[in-house]
Amino acid sequence: MKTLAVVVTTPPYSHLTITALTYVEAALVAGINVIGVFFYQDGAMHANKDISIASDEYQAIVHWQRLQQQYQLPLHICITAAEKRGIACDSIDNEQVNKAFTVSGLGELVELTTKASRLVQF
Amino acid sequence: MTTIEQQTLAISPKEFGLAIINSKAPFSSNHGKDALDVALIFGSFEQKVSLFFQGDGVYQLIANQDGRLVLIKDYLKTFSAFEFYDIEDIYVCQQSLVNRQLNETFHINDVQVLTSIEFGKALNRHQHVLRF
Repeated sequence: MKTLAVVVTTPPYSHLTITALTYVEAALVAGINVIGVFFYQDGAMHANKDISIASDEYQAIVHWQRLQQQYQLPLHICITAAEKRGIACDSIDNEQVNKAFTVSGLGELVELTTKASRLVQF
Repeated sequence: MTTIEQQTLAISPKEFGLAIINSKAPFSSNHGKDALDVALIFGSFEQKVSLFFQGDGVYQLIANQDGRLVLIKDYLKTFSAFEFYDIEDIYVCQQSLVNRQLNETFHINDVQVLTSIEFGKALNRHQHVLRF
């Protein structure tokens, strides 16, 4: 079976993130096996629970959460990228991390890449 | 590019794993370091990874630079560790060097200078591509 992995490097307020979300949802709706999304560089900012985007703007984080719940889509953040951007990931309960996201390392990106038939970066 | 060349690109088998394209100059952003971290992780997991330098990314290979002069940790020094991670395929776009009037003088060995067509073909041999 064909599998897809996605890398997101854009922050939650970027219009490019909307493209990524639309793409991933279209893949899921089409029945493609999306094995995970890896948030790297500014993409890690998605996991910050304290980010607040004006209510009349696109709510990227809410949409990732929705896809995660609806399709059990794994959302991985790179711990180094997250901590560099003020998201504390070192405690047991990681209070600052949005629960829809899993704190991972670059090793997870290796895992996803080797398993995926195709890797797409945004 | 001729139609035949385009067809060759489309059907060529994917022999290699990951290609990382470096397209940014070394000290104005974190992209180069972020790409390096990915390359080294793939190397340490014994996954095949090739590095491509294109556009302003070619500045990352130019010799006699020192990031410390602008108070930046000089991640370029780590490039010399590539051989320990079995990262052997390092390609640079000749046209990008020419456009910037740069010599083929690099701070690491075994860099292959490729024409645009060769660069594209080498890239096309990879299953996955990440660009930084």
